[in-house]
Amino acid sequence: MSSPDSFDRYVRQMQFAPLGREGQERIAQARIFLCGCGALGTVLANTLVRAGVGFLRIVDRDFIEPNNLQRQVLFDEDDIAASLPKAIAAANKLRKINSQVVIEAEVADVDPTNIESYAADVDLILDGTDNFETRFLINDLALKSKRPWVYGGCLGAEGQSLTIIPEETPCLRCLIAEPPPPGESPTCDTAGILSPIINVIASIQACEALKILSGKTEAISRQWTIINLWDNSVRQIDVSGLRESVDCPACDRGEFPWLNGERASQSAVLCGRNAVQVSPPRDAASPQLDLAMLEAKLSPLGDVARNPFLLRADISPYTLTVFADGRAIISGTDEISTAKTVYAKYVGT
Amino acid sequence: MLIAVQIPTALRAEIGGTKQVSVEASTVRDALEQLELLHPKLYRSVCEETGAVRRHINLFVNLKLVRRGTGLNTALHPGDTLTIMPAVSGG
Repeated sequence: MSSPDSFDRYVRQMQFAPLGREGQERIAQARIFLCGCGALGTVLANTLVRAGVGFLRIVDRDFIEPNNLQRQVLFDEDDIAASLPKAIAAANKLRKINSQVVIEAEVADVDPTNIESYAADVDLILDGTDNFETRFLINDLALKSKRPWVYGGCLGAEGQSLTIIPEETPCLRCLIAEPPPPGESPTCDTAGILSPIINVIASIQACEALKILSGKTEAISRQWTIINLWDNSVRQIDVSGLRESVDCPACDRGEFPWLNGERASQSAVLCGRNAVQVSPPRDAASPQLDLAMLEAKLSPLGDVARNPFLLRADISPYTLTVFADGRAIISGTDEISTAKTVYAKYVGT
Repeated sequence: MLIAVQIPTALRAEIGGTKQVSVEASTVRDALEQLELLHPKLYRSVCEETGAVRRHINLFVNLKLVRRGTGLNTALHPGDTLTIMPAVSGG
């Protein structure tokens, strides 16, 4: 627990009357699971670590690329040169920003087999993901475990946010009955993404988090917020009563198909990346991959670089980024079948 | 009566980059039928073959959410704005 003096740095925040010292004390005890640490996730982590949350668990499956720096505020060119995974680079930066916060970084793909362990000891889940599959998984877990979560999503200059308190407010599935079918929804690749909308939406999510964590849930937004910074529009759509009026499989019937694995995929095309992630089936008992052995195996085939967290091999026309947990991101294809073939050929099963 | 239909970023590619179109319609269903006639590519992104609104898309009139199914009968009035809003996944 933080000593009273350690609160000096939060004096401006505590001067804000609705929060006060009591709110700050609750925030300092609060535990958060941040699912995904890209554009939204870095802004969320930056804001909440500066605000003095007690504990932040960051889980992200990805590594940093040059085109991330335009909007992913915790990363820099040194992180790219070191080929750091996002979770590790973010944690390094955040510990320098506020050493009072306990930060846990996990380089992993959040899926039905592990999400319950990541969320078991937290008060709040924050959405920093870039795909619907993980968001619907978070929604299932949040409803089942009765933990609040805050949805955020962005595209182009447009973004949306919704605060979800299980059994009290509408959930993501009350609002969006099904995620878009693959290939039907534009991505950051086809429609682009402007950094300011990320900062706006993540800041709304972060403020909702501060309300929840300080015990001021009466102050949360009960509306679906949609902002377009290019068209200069801010819309607040009233969703009160939605939970009672729709037949939501999650809220009304306790059906959680993303959490029980029925809707889980083992491979996913990554948003805007000409890349596919391949995740071999594994459980907690599965051993870590021996990256040194893999380096020796792949070195004759192309350029290979390795650090303690991942290995990168350029084997034309593909680039393989293999993580110690066995996952790989295959760049140079949007085809899952091609990626699986490349994985099987160079990493093995 | 003339209704403004606002097109979200995610669907503007289906309609040449336009962010708003006008249709003559007295209900939400009329407005969608007009979109089917005038902008079939956009319509197919909004509605399934059965005519139901796709399950990842919401409609709202002014700032009021249109309920799935019976909400399509919602009456429109001159000057109303019908907004098409898909969930967005980036982040």
